[in-house]
Amino acid sequence: MFKIFKPSPTSYQVKLAGSNTEFSVQRGDSLLNSALSAGVQWPFKCKVGSCGTCKCQLLEGKINPQLDFSYVLDGSEIQQGYILACQTMLKSDLLVSLDLDK
Amino acid sequence: MKFYVNARYLIVPIMSIITILGVLIGGAYAWVGVALFGINTVIDTLTKDIHLRADFDSQGESYGIKTFQYGIMYFMLPVFIALQIALAYRIFQFTAATPVQIDLFYGIAYQSGISGINLIGAVLSSGLWAGLGIIYGHELSHNKKEGFLVSRLVMALSGASHFTYAHVYNHHLDLGHEDDPATAPRGRNMYAHAWLSHMGQSRYSYNLEEGRLKKQGKSTLNVDNRWILGYLYSLPSLVLFVWAGGLIGIAALFAVWVIANFLLEALNFMGHYGLIRTHGLPVEHRHSWDNDSVFTSWFFIEIGRQCDHHVRGETYFWELDDVKGPNYGIGYFSLFVIALIPALFRRYVEKHLANWDEKYATDDELAIAAKFS
Ligand code: FES
Repeated sequence: MFKIFKPSPTSYQVKLAGSNTEFSVQRGDSLLNSALSAGVQWPFKCKVGSCGTCKCQLLEGKINPQLDFSYVLDGSEIQQGYILACQTMLKSDLLVSLDLDK
Repeated sequence: MKFYVNARYLIVPIMSIITILGVLIGGAYAWVGVALFGINTVIDTLTKDIHLRADFDSQGESYGIKTFQYGIMYFMLPVFIALQIALAYRIFQFTAATPVQIDLFYGIAYQSGISGINLIGAVLSSGLWAGLGIIYGHELSHNKKEGFLVSRLVMALSGASHFTYAHVYNHHLDLGHEDDPATAPRGRNMYAHAWLSHMGQSRYSYNLEEGRLKKQGKSTLNVDNRWILGYLYSLPSLVLFVWAGGLIGIAALFAVWVIANFLLEALNFMGHYGLIRTHGLPVEHRHSWDNDSVFTSWFFIEIGRQCDHHVRGETYFWELDDVKGPNYGIGYFSLFVIALIPALFRRYVEKHLANWDEKYATDDELAIAAKFS
């Protein structure tokens, strides 16, 4: 799955570490929804930030979390940069690591 | 089209303001909020068979204007505060025995002072319309950052700030299972549900905070405890009503909170009564009841489109659509009236549950259902 989108000031690029998957996220869209519409098989269940299924590790970049992650992710996960994709808006391009075999 | 799609969700804001004016003008107008509920029930019942879909343009884009809809939802916070202040003002006049007479306010006639009977009308009107805070509190609980705080504050006006956390972390995750206090199991009536669901969600919210603070090595008794903080948000209302009318003020505020929370739990009751989900399996459309009669849809800002909402929880209300899930076929006002009479509701819902068992339920879900019959 490889998608190239024209870069525009209203969208950011996301790369999945260890694969050549890349997709763009329009401002105002969540990381999860953009991945899903780009055809990435991103695991999810609730889409409201309560189940933790969509978690991934943020390796590079800045995000704007829409909900407090600490109810779902524990302290060590948060320290390692884990985030909930369904509650993540972007503030820059990102490099994230996602276990797609989950 | 854009205007129509956005303006149709203004029924509650407009009627809330009419209710506030009713309380302020006084006399029999204090009952206007109650009367509006009655009129709405009639309209909802008469139009129950009209079901519309969400509206999208040819590109598949929704006509809803996010900035406008969010502006209105945020604007409702001061409106609900104004409703409480208006009631407190009437309580103050009542306890101060202000003579009941017609006065002028910039040329507009209003009744200064209020009789006991009209004060009851003002309390009932305020309770019913404060209860509608839930439709904004609910939408904002899901949608984005600042909205979450506004949701907490709107709910705090009804002493129900715990709802925001319980709804997202408990109800959405445990829907249709006994771990979700907001799902009413078969056989439970709406009154029992209101109490059990309210207490269950508050307890859940407390446990959630306890767990989070423990993980951070903090004590539960802490202003960082958002369960405690939620109740502290309700303190200004309490202070206002104690100041306005002492014990009478407390009784009035208590009545408002009871009515408001009853409406909140009535929505939970109607949205999921008797539906069952095997824990751990995905939430699907069949785990909620849709109520999408036209008036219900517009009035309750599509909160009745539960089937779609529980699967696409991140979706703005104006984009929710009919997904052919279980549907009562009538609106919330009509269903609420039926649910007020438990024996009638049990009879009414029988055929709907039988239909659900037959058309929607999995074998595992049927096995759980069998325990209730
Ligand atoms: S899908 Fe459940 S937390 Fe993101």
